[in-house]
Amino acid sequence: MTAVVSIHTVTVKRKIVAPAQQIFDAWLNPTALAEWMRPGNATHATVTVDAREGGAFEIVMHRASGPVRHTGIYQTIDAPRRLAFTWNSPHAGQHDSLVTVEFHPDGKATEVVITHERLPEAAQPGHTAGWTVLLELLEKTVNADSHAT
Amino acid sequence: MVEYKSPSTRLDAAFSAMADPTRRAILARLALADACVTEIAGDFPVSLNAVSKHIKMLERAELVRRTVQGRDHILSLNAGPMAEASEWIEYYRQFWEDRLASLEAFVTTQRNSAKKGNRT
Repeated sequence: MTAVVSIHTVTVKRKIVAPAQQIFDAWLNPTALAEWMRPGNATHATVTVDAREGGAFEIVMHRASGPVRHTGIYQTIDAPRRLAFTWNSPHAGQHDSLVTVEFHPDGKATEVVITHERLPEAAQPGHTAGWTVLLELLEKTVNADSHAT
Repeated sequence: MVEYKSPSTRLDAAFSAMADPTRRAILARLALADACVTEIAGDFPVSLNAVSKHIKMLERAELVRRTVQGRDHILSLNAGPMAEASEWIEYYRQFWEDRLASLEAFVTTQRNSAKKGNRT
């Protein structure tokens, strides 16, 4: 297993002896996710998955100190090659980041490559600053219209 | 007035400031030693104006501090926000490495029980 760390991106790879499709399915099946998407300090996880592009997921990791909620939206579901979803958690400061998972078949094994990147503020959908600008523009447009008439 | 910045806002600013190669090079230069603005500008094949803009972004992200000594503006590195950013990276590197190990264990168990199932 290797890990490459750049300035705002984390890349982690692992070769797993299993077909790409089987590993890919483990990412979208809620029962499977609840099994493995659970850190050692969590007693159990509750998972909901809407496995389609634009669909949301929620993974709640239950810890002795309380539940930790992770949410996101699937951006790309290209079985069994590529999966991309936004990722938001209290640890990420409730800041949307992007996780891309690639599945490269290699003989009887599959190399799984996870790239987790922080999105620049401007690229965040629904970001407050973006909405403020949009609302200002809308207000200007409406005002200009009402002055014109 | 001191503007309040939440840790998350500060982290956002640090990450966007560090996303640019020239700004990273400026940070690397300041990691060696403090320098004044003209010294920094001399190190890079861009205009003084462009370098000033990059420095302002680094100051806003609180990655660089400026002290005025007479006519000289001395820039120094402030490693605090960078440490926060690398903490984020380290957290997720560990998180995904652990998750991949656990994914492998899960898939292997699944395959083993499928094989047993086939035999019976």
